[in-house]
Amino acid sequence: MSEPADPVSQKRPDGTMDHLDEITCLMYAERQLDRARAEAVSAHAQDCAACRTLLRALERESRLLTRAMLEEDEPLPARLAHFQQSARASFQWVWGLIFALAATGLYAVYTEFVAWTDRLEQAGLGGTSLLNLLIVQGAFWKGWQSVITLLEALAMVTLVGFGAIVLRRRIGRRGSALALVLASFCAFMVLPTMASATEFRRGDRITIGPDEVIHGDVYAAGGRVRVEGTIDGDLIAGAGEIEVLGHVVGDVISSSGTMRVTGQVDGNIRSYAGNMTIKGKVGRNVMIAGGDLNIDRDAVIGGSVSSFGGHLTMDGQVGHDVLAMGGAVTISGTLSGGATVRSGELNFDSTAVVKGPVEFAGDNPAEISSGAKLASPVHFTKLRHGPDYNSSSYYIWRVIWMAAYILFGLALFKVMPDFSRECVGMADRYGPSLGLGILAGPGVFVGGCIACVTVVGLFIGISTLFLLWGALYYAQVIAATMVGQWILGRSKENWPLIGRMAIGMVIVRLSFVIPHAGFWLKLFVLIWGMGAITLALYSRFQPRIPAAHAAPIQPLPVAAGPAL
Amino acid sequence: MEPLRPGPMSVPGMTETTEAVARARAGDAEAWGELYRQYAPAIFRFSRRALPTREDAEDATMEIFMKLKGKLSQYDETRSFSAWLYRVAANHCWDILRRRKVRQDKETEDVDEVPLEHPDPNQLDKLIEQRTSEEVREALHKLGARARMALVLRYYSDMSYDEIADELGVRRAFVGVVLLRARHELRQALEGKAALAAGGTP
Repeated sequence: MSEPADPVSQKRPDGTMDHLDEITCLMYAERQLDRARAEAVSAHAQDCAACRTLLRALERESRLLTRAMLEEDEPLPARLAHFQQSARASFQWVWGLIFALAATGLYAVYTEFVAWTDRLEQAGLGGTSLLNLLIVQGAFWKGWQSVITLLEALAMVTLVGFGAIVLRRRIGRRGSALALVLASFCAFMVLPTMASATEFRRGDRITIGPDEVIHGDVYAAGGRVRVEGTIDGDLIAGAGEIEVLGHVVGDVISSSGTMRVTGQVDGNIRSYAGNMTIKGKVGRNVMIAGGDLNIDRDAVIGGSVSSFGGHLTMDGQVGHDVLAMGGAVTISGTLSGGATVRSGELNFDSTAVVKGPVEFAGDNPAEISSGAKLASPVHFTKLRHGPDYNSSSYYIWRVIWMAAYILFGLALFKVMPDFSRECVGMADRYGPSLGLGILAGPGVFVGGCIACVTVVGLFIGISTLFLLWGALYYAQVIAATMVGQWILGRSKENWPLIGRMAIGMVIVRLSFVIPHAGFWLKLFVLIWGMGAITLALYSRFQPRIPAAHAAPIQPLPVAAGPAL
Repeated sequence: MEPLRPGPMSVPGMTETTEAVARARAGDAEAWGELYRQYAPAIFRFSRRALPTREDAEDATMEIFMKLKGKLSQYDETRSFSAWLYRVAANHCWDILRRRKVRQDKETEDVDEVPLEHPDPNQLDKLIEQRTSEEVREALHKLGARARMALVLRYYSDMSYDEIADELGVRRAFVGVVLLRARHELRQALEGKAALAAGGTP
């Protein structure tokens, strides 16, 4: 590349002077030429009318540009006018309040859930938490439960959120941040297990034969999974029916309709199952969520048993404790540790032997047969149904949840402001949003469940249910914003909308506390919000119809017109 | 409000600004608010001219001021605050545009491609005379990112050729070329005919 050509004009062969080129004129007008060249240009311009006109035109063009740019044609948007004020307000006392509430929440978590974490620790789920058990520990999750605490889970979610924001900035504002968050989260859930995979099997009937020995983990998805041989690793399976007749050296992590273990599992069994029967030997702990658990007379479990949801019948031997929440519990076998039960009923048969303390929270005291051998009397607590309005912790938790919702709403309005505004706009159409909400909420749930059951779509099913779960929270944010708009009037700006959301959320959450009516109000809010979200999504996926006033297509010119 | 531009135009308010900057640096929220109130309109307008949409400009203005909080300690008080502020704003907007890679391929530094044809001065003069500020603003948004940025830096921020070269990452010698090409693009957008932009020869 070279410097621009010498600007000053050359003489033509006939002696007349050529014109200055435009770049030279511009540099001259902009006072960017050195003295000698500027003088030459000046001298030329005195003799040449065309170049004088060009210089004048360029200067006028500069002035026009400056004027056009400096003219204040648009007032400072309200969003910016209030930005400093709102930023100060939000970043100072609002954030201060939220962090104070968060600190209170942490304290409450520590004081109220420490007992549960102790129990879970005793049950062989060391260091885990209720949230971790119920939410994070999915069918694809393996080995994390020993390290993830409630705080770590929250930190991880926060990290994913921040990551999503950073990625969103890199990728561009049009990308769906929510999709990104969910995709990252799902990928995050799946990757740790995938990394250690050694064998994948898929099919209607998957059988690991009696002579077969697999060294490493097995991932199986199918209608029926049958293990007759040996897996020298973990079995991670999703199937309608799972049967373990052989030997699994590691853990069994599964999601299935029914599960039978007649063989031997040296590690843990963690399962979402409709029904699980254990007749064989389990080296460590058994955890089931969702369905019934039947521990047969011949079964021997080295660790603890945790059951969430269904009935528990324990006839065999359990080496440590039993933790059961949900359905009826019947103990007929030998329990070397204690039992913590929170359910409708608890029965001890005459053959029952319990060597540790028993704590039972239920509607009626435990029924204990005369032959049952218990180390100590059952400590019974009458189960209270519904909120305890006399407890201060009840109100503390309401405030904490309210703050959490406001924070959640704030994050959503910041991460996806356009979509949130659209949802609020749709919520304004009461009829369609309520009607669609009635269909969409249960529809998505049923769809997700069907996807889970059809095994191949297990991952999609779980993702859909996660999405629905998140959407239910989002629905409350949208409905709360509408309530805020009823009070403060409508707004399209982000910060005013956040303010309305906060006020609306306080009102909505307070309304949920009203006895009896609270439940129906909550249902109404969820349906309304879900309908608005569905409508907004629907309108996004609709093909854009060209505007009616769009300019008609001009025919191509036959020939180019004269140049200026 | 009187437009704020770097250099002499900002001198009358310089003492107050310097004080406000010093106080803002020390963490005085009021001083920070003062700076925001004083400069936000100009920075919004700058962003509005430099970036494709109003929403982009609003976001950028907020981001620039958020960024400014962290950068305030780097400001050399012996120099013009508004000039420095425009540099920060220009960097930010140019970063946004570069990331999006909007029509950057339209401009090159290749001198051979620069039209050095003599335009028809009378027609150019006529075109300039006929166009309003509003039309120019509309046309600006049809330009490539670099062309638009170059014009904004020069005719809004009043930056020197050295500063523009620095911002756009071109050699100082070619700033004029970039500006001229930008003007041609602008004329083309204003006129809607390629002939004038390509040199204006009839």
